[in-house]
Amino acid sequence: MSLLSTRDLTKSFSPDVLALDNLTFDIEPGIVGFVGANGAGKTTFIRILLGLLAPTSGSASVLDMDVQGDRMSIRRAVGYMPENDCLPIDVSGADFVAHMGRMSGLPFQAARERAAEMLRHVGLHEERYRLIGGYSTGMKQRVKLAQALVHDPKLLLLDEPTNGLDPAGREDMLGLIARTGKEFGISVFVTSHLLGEIERVCEHLIAIDAGKLRYNGPVAAFTELTERLVVELDDESPELATTLRSRGLDVDGTATELRITLRDDSTYDLIRDAAAELGAPIARMQLTRHKLEELFRDQVGAHG
Amino acid sequence: MAEPRTAGAIYDLGYQRYTGERLHNANSVRTLFGFSLRTAFGLGRGARSKAIPAIILAIVFIPAIVSVGAASTTGFVTLINYAGHLQFTAFLITLFAAAQAPELIVTDRQYGVLTLYLARPLTGVLYALAKLAALVAAMMVLTFGPQLLLFLGKVFIAASPWTAFTDEWTVLGPLIAGTLTVSCFVASIALAISSFAGRRAYASASVIGFFLLVPAAASVVRSLATGDTKRYLVLAHPIQLIIGFGNWLFHIEAKRRTAVGRAELPGSYYFAVLLGVIVVATTVLLLRYRRNDA
Repeated sequence: MSLLSTRDLTKSFSPDVLALDNLTFDIEPGIVGFVGANGAGKTTFIRILLGLLAPTSGSASVLDMDVQGDRMSIRRAVGYMPENDCLPIDVSGADFVAHMGRMSGLPFQAARERAAEMLRHVGLHEERYRLIGGYSTGMKQRVKLAQALVHDPKLLLLDEPTNGLDPAGREDMLGLIARTGKEFGISVFVTSHLLGEIERVCEHLIAIDAGKLRYNGPVAAFTELTERLVVELDDESPELATTLRSRGLDVDGTATELRITLRDDSTYDLIRDAAAELGAPIARMQLTRHKLEELFRDQVGAHG
Repeated sequence: MAEPRTAGAIYDLGYQRYTGERLHNANSVRTLFGFSLRTAFGLGRGARSKAIPAIILAIVFIPAIVSVGAASTTGFVTLINYAGHLQFTAFLITLFAAAQAPELIVTDRQYGVLTLYLARPLTGVLYALAKLAALVAAMMVLTFGPQLLLFLGKVFIAASPWTAFTDEWTVLGPLIAGTLTVSCFVASIALAISSFAGRRAYASASVIGFFLLVPAAASVVRSLATGDTKRYLVLAHPIQLIIGFGNWLFHIEAKRRTAVGRAELPGSYYFAVLLGVIVVATTVLLLRYRRNDA
């Protein structure tokens, strides 16, 4: 079974702007990250998957169901957590999640039980009987996740689930996503504009920029593509860069600040050995990464 | 409800797969209808959401209760007057619709809940129909509820309830038809107007504005008009429409001094205009929500 499949999927809102530009890919079930800068077309893509927007051309399927023809079946099988606010203020978390469970086809009693379980699963306890209007942003994000899970979907579509959360809240949310995907066997399709968080929970990664597919493959390979080791030197030492290049590393930067593409842990050893041989005064080493925008700009630049 | 609180166990339950029954898609529409009907009366909501529906419920039911009470103590069953009660509720239900129609559809858009509904097995059109049905049902409680109370009062106050029932039951048909038509009329207008508003307050103001300004405009034009135009303009006044319709339904001769009496129009005209407005307003509402269906 394929989780998601697209063929020449294109969506344009106006003649000269393509929100999605000829996307073609197939993804197997698992935890899939979908990265792109803000405005890259992530939400548009999810709305097409849910049958809320029609593609301009091309096709897409979710769990082998066509987004045009089988949208009701898709919606029954999928849980959706939107990026924006989507909760009423004067209903309690428990009531609202139970209501959403019933909307997805659960009988009354089952919906109430599942709602209580899901709210506990996402970490809301006694607060679930209070009105949602009084919840913190973190609690609201948890309710949003619970309502997406209440009907036990086969696939979760999470649109920027860590948006607006503080660092601790982000950790919790990422942990929940990882647990849901790995321990409970629900496939997860999660979008983010922050590569750093998404790659920690995902197995597979798709990157788009301005509606175009930029990457489709395992997370590890994409990490390599984007990670850079910055080596700061106290003194200029041009030999270090030359030596590292001769040993097969991809090095650029200035004489006092080298930027080195990280392959694996042996990269550190190569740098250590070279620095020791040359007596290069290393002041600091730090793992940084390209921002998504920079990465795509570089690629676009390289290709044309 | 108390929950089992054995140490630790509760947190280890974690996620469980659901293997039970899953209902047909029509269940989503029914669920939304029921939930919205409760919302219309503020049930399952905070205390503030209950205030307006509670006040209006009290205002429409108290006279009916008083009528029945007075009739039962005095024995004068004629105190109970269906058509009079429909006119009396006409204005109150427009207030109710102005307050609650936005509560039903504007808040879903304002807070983004509509996004969640549309990600479920439900289309925009079905969403709008469920909301319309819920508001109509809520208004039936306000219009038909007191009437039913009057009816039951009449039957059970009578010396022989069975005879009273057989004499009186034919009135139930017009009662249901009348209250249903009036409820659909006010609900469809209120929802159609609310479907254009971004915030609840604007929607409420617009609905009240409609039910105040349209009659005012109609009166002004009527005072300038002459002849047949003047007579037909009574149909442009929502409340007069309901009064004229009620008179026709319950075979009551309109008083000469009233606007409806002076117009001397056939009663079916009022009904036709009501139906026409219901169709137009419902179409507008559904078209607004059809945009959400790709």
